[in-house]
Amino acid sequence: MKRRIRVTRLLLWLSLFAFVAPGFAGQARDSEEARDLKTFTDRVQAYVKMQKNLEASLPTLKPTKDAAQIVEHQHALARKIADARRGARQGDIFTHEVTERFRKIIRKAFQGPEGRPARKTILPDSAFKAIVLHVNDVVPEDMPLTTTPPTLLRRLPELPQELVYRIVGHDLTLQDTKARLIVDLIPNAIP
Amino acid sequence: MPAMRRSAFFSCVALAAISVSLYAQELALPLKPDSVRFAVIGDMGTGEKPQYEVAEQIIACRRKFPFEFVIMLGDNIYGGHDPIDYQNKFELPYKPLLDAGVKFYAVLGNHDTPNERFYKSFNMNGQKYYTYKKSNVRFLALDSNYMDPQQLSWLEKELQNSGSDWRICYFHHPLYSSGAFHGSSTELRPLLEPLFVKYGVQVVFAGHEHVYERVKPQNGTYYFTEGASGSLRKGNLSKTDLTAAGYDQDRSFMLVEIAGDELYFQTISRVGLTVDSGVIRRVAKIAGAASWPTVRPGHGGLPGRTVAKAIGVGLTRALTATE
Repeated sequence: MKRRIRVTRLLLWLSLFAFVAPGFAGQARDSEEARDLKTFTDRVQAYVKMQKNLEASLPTLKPTKDAAQIVEHQHALARKIADARRGARQGDIFTHEVTERFRKIIRKAFQGPEGRPARKTILPDSAFKAIVLHVNDVVPEDMPLTTTPPTLLRRLPELPQELVYRIVGHDLTLQDTKARLIVDLIPNAIP
Repeated sequence: MPAMRRSAFFSCVALAAISVSLYAQELALPLKPDSVRFAVIGDMGTGEKPQYEVAEQIIACRRKFPFEFVIMLGDNIYGGHDPIDYQNKFELPYKPLLDAGVKFYAVLGNHDTPNERFYKSFNMNGQKYYTYKKSNVRFLALDSNYMDPQQLSWLEKELQNSGSDWRICYFHHPLYSSGAFHGSSTELRPLLEPLFVKYGVQVVFAGHEHVYERVKPQNGTYYFTEGASGSLRKGNLSKTDLTAAGYDQDRSFMLVEIAGDELYFQTISRVGLTVDSGVIRRVAKIAGAASWPTVRPGHGGLPGRTVAKAIGVGLTRALTATE
């Protein structure tokens, strides 16, 4: 009799554990995801803060009819940022964990029939020769922009207006819109 | 005998040339008092001869149709973006218009750099997307290169708060297109079209495809592609069920006049040939519902269909309205 009660208790505990455990695992996953996301947003914010500080040392760029001022501002800002981030490496902002998260999101956005429009969106526009960009490279001015699929933008963390996600070849790059610099990238992110 | 035939042939050619030039001089726009008048150009910034020729035609048209501003549908400056490029690909071709105080309102195409937004002559005021109002018309200029959730929220808010009779959106990538090179932007469409329908956007202009096309109304909205004001993909328009009218044999631009509940349009080629024209009527808004326009092609005795008749099939490839 006692044995039967013990077995019943054990079974009850086991079923309770089976019910609760996935919840705990899910919570752990969520908190890991939140932590990785926070790492990313913190590093993005730190970059933007640095960019703003460096830009403040330049003459303010207001809308102007003088195209030379726009071009000079862009080049000067790019030089300052590249100097300040001389030691910057790929993965500084897209850390290993963040990269893995992003790869999963990107795979999801491009897979199956639902991903077909996104694939069409990133088809190359012209015969522009594919190039490999690195951190602190300036985006070539004659390189056509690839539209960043809006369905992907809905899945990725929002960026401040100083930065954009851009696809270059198969890489996902993080670009500074004013300096036109590659801030970081995930190579071969696009399946 | 052969000499007579030759002379008859040359007479016919001369007659055709005269009729083309006379035809080109006709204006299909009513020039009503206090109307909103503008030109539409897209994919123009090549800095090459055809861009300058289109610009000359626009300047000539302005003598008869004094428009106040020009909307630019992106690819404003191809290739390099040095100061010389701004000069050769924008300031020089449109100099007479700039000197006359005509304003240009640009959007970014895939060949533009985001820093064009700081170029004052593009009137973007440092923004990648923006809005402005002319009389009873609300214009919303979007950045279709980067349609992120922030931009979509902004668009919805602006449309919600727009009290204007006419709501016109323009951006680079067409939601509907029969162009063989890119075709329709099927990823953007489900994001933007529901907002256009919900808030009664009557007319949308886009570029990207280097042809002209007027699409049959889709869910109450009229879609125009004008991506041939500098670049051209000759013969690239495959006539589809979408096409109401189209032209892919030469460069072109549009003239638009909005007077009250009517929007008149005329599309003109590099050599001054009218390749499409018509009027879109805005139906008065019923409480809570969007206002739907109706179209009557070929306003002012210039139906697009007569283009082919006037200059001979083969010279143009006018795919005319079937509505």
